[in-house]
Amino acid sequence: MLRRKSSWPVEVLRYGTILLVILFFFFPIFWMVLTSFKPESAIMVSPPQFFFTPTLDNYAHALVDKNFLFYVKNTLIISVISTLIVVAFGSLAAYSFARFNVGDGHILFFILSTKMMPAIAVILPYFLIFRDLGKTAIGKSLHLGLDQHGALIVSYVMFNLPFAIWLLVSFFQDIPRELEHSARLDGLSRLQVLRKVTFPLAAPGIAVTAVFTLIFCWNEFLFAYILTRKAASTVTVGVESFFTLQGILWGPVAAAATIAVAPMLVFVLVMQRYMVRGLTFGAVRG
Amino acid sequence: MARITAQNLIKRYGAFQAVHGINFDIADGEFVAILGPSGCGKSSTMRMIAGLESISDGAILFDGRPVNDLRARDRNVAMSFENYALYAPITVYENIAFPLRSAGMDAASIDRAVRSVAEKMELGQLLSLKPGALSSGQAQRVGLARALVRKPAVFLLDEPISHLDTRQRYRMRRFIKSIHQEFGHTMIYVTHDQEEALALADRVMVMSDGLIQQLAAPDEVYTRPANAFVAGFVGEPPINFLDFTDADDRGLTIEGNRVALTEKLCGLVRQIGPRGIAAIRPHFLRLGGGSPVQLRGQGFITEELQDHNEIFVDVGRTRIALVTPPGQKVHRGEDVTVSVDPDHLLLFPAGNKVREHSDDI
Repeated sequence: MLRRKSSWPVEVLRYGTILLVILFFFFPIFWMVLTSFKPESAIMVSPPQFFFTPTLDNYAHALVDKNFLFYVKNTLIISVISTLIVVAFGSLAAYSFARFNVGDGHILFFILSTKMMPAIAVILPYFLIFRDLGKTAIGKSLHLGLDQHGALIVSYVMFNLPFAIWLLVSFFQDIPRELEHSARLDGLSRLQVLRKVTFPLAAPGIAVTAVFTLIFCWNEFLFAYILTRKAASTVTVGVESFFTLQGILWGPVAAAATIAVAPMLVFVLVMQRYMVRGLTFGAVRG
Repeated sequence: MARITAQNLIKRYGAFQAVHGINFDIADGEFVAILGPSGCGKSSTMRMIAGLESISDGAILFDGRPVNDLRARDRNVAMSFENYALYAPITVYENIAFPLRSAGMDAASIDRAVRSVAEKMELGQLLSLKPGALSSGQAQRVGLARALVRKPAVFLLDEPISHLDTRQRYRMRRFIKSIHQEFGHTMIYVTHDQEEALALADRVMVMSDGLIQQLAAPDEVYTRPANAFVAGFVGEPPINFLDFTDADDRGLTIEGNRVALTEKLCGLVRQIGPRGIAAIRPHFLRLGGGSPVQLRGQGFITEELQDHNEIFVDVGRTRIALVTPPGQKVHRGEDVTVSVDPDHLLLFPAGNKVREHSDDI
């Protein structure tokens, strides 16, 4: 991009604006982290305190008394398995849509149509289905009952697969067919082409899809709240459990929320480099 | 090396038939260009030869052996593509080595083969670069090198230079010709550019609507086109088409000009009937009289291209083009006489498909 050299007041204004925007978006996270280290006496005071003696009491409460890592473990299991399933099936489905135009566009549209209603509209049927499924033999063996991991995994896969397929179709469409043709002439079988040429080239797209899916699963609340009680509850439900009859325990809530957000922050930061690199990754064009 | 034969070759996509049972025979080591407009079936034909698309009906034979059921990788066919089809994440060296690695060749032999072909393709300095750093001409040379490195029996080129700018295109054209002379592969070159086809090929296969219109040497395609489609598609500036009427044993009428016919054309007229299309290339027309076949018309414009002039003349309702030596001119509305070389006057039946001149003035 071409940029002219600007005078210093313009520069000050520019960076001032950027700073404001950053503050605006970053402040809630900053305040959450800050609160998690505050003693109870410093939390609800007005005016708000920025300087105080930090304490780990809130973390102790969240981790020891409430055993918050239990929720983190559940979330990790459910999110990662859901994401793996979504990416595996999503990329195969997207590939066939992109290359063979399966269903002439109708199936692809139908898939998207399942996303056209709010989650709340289907939560009751889901609840009933999983309640009954949990009583069957296959439901028992796959942990598909209420308050079991399988039920949430299936729900998350159902909800993320359409979006993942749509995202991935465009990535696969961007890979020139000629690359696959060339590889087939160069001695690879169709499956080898997929494994050695197409999927590596689609890796950035697959990574993006995985990131979005994982974030969605990690942050999902409604399904987790309705379909679980305790055994399979995720972090979002875990945080909610701090809203007790005696009042909201803001300190432990902030600590738990920080613990819940931290893995995603780190994950996205790690993946970000890969995702941006991905945008300049495709095949050479004329 | 291989001789390629097609027997009643048909390609269908669902209900749509792209290739309608064509037959051809390409000799071992021959360079054939498949020329035609988009949608004529040329790419389908090439992809069937490569094994990238199934053959709906008929057969393709390599050296007399049917290859219908042979997979692409078992046909020993190499191909270079319009968009180069290089693997962007790996270096030029690895791109060229790719087919050899797939074949499981040992590292020392791969290295020798890659360096040898890279030298011939003038890529020695570029081996460590990634494809993204190459110019389009270089990228296509890498594509050709990758195709050549495993010594294929048949070398297919799918519009390999149509993405390049004019100057690069001329260079690459000579380069491809020299590859053929040096390596002697059976080469099949798909293009929609008639100039490329004429310049490169031993024989040109002109296709339209899923059929072969003509398969012949370039000079024959140019001077003796099999039908009006071939006549119109090959040649730049395009051939002039004029309606003729009242044809009989002695002559015919073109836009009010009565023209006497040679013996050979009289025979043709007997087959075609009294009405039809006369075609004559701009190169076989000249200003002034002196030929038994003359047309009278009015000058329109002159384009002075320095090495030659292109002159446009209105003959009746038809505007025709002439290519003349530099210096010759017509003025607008001036009465001129145009002489036709009778040996190069072509006659076709009326209604024969003609290239549409959408950019006609």
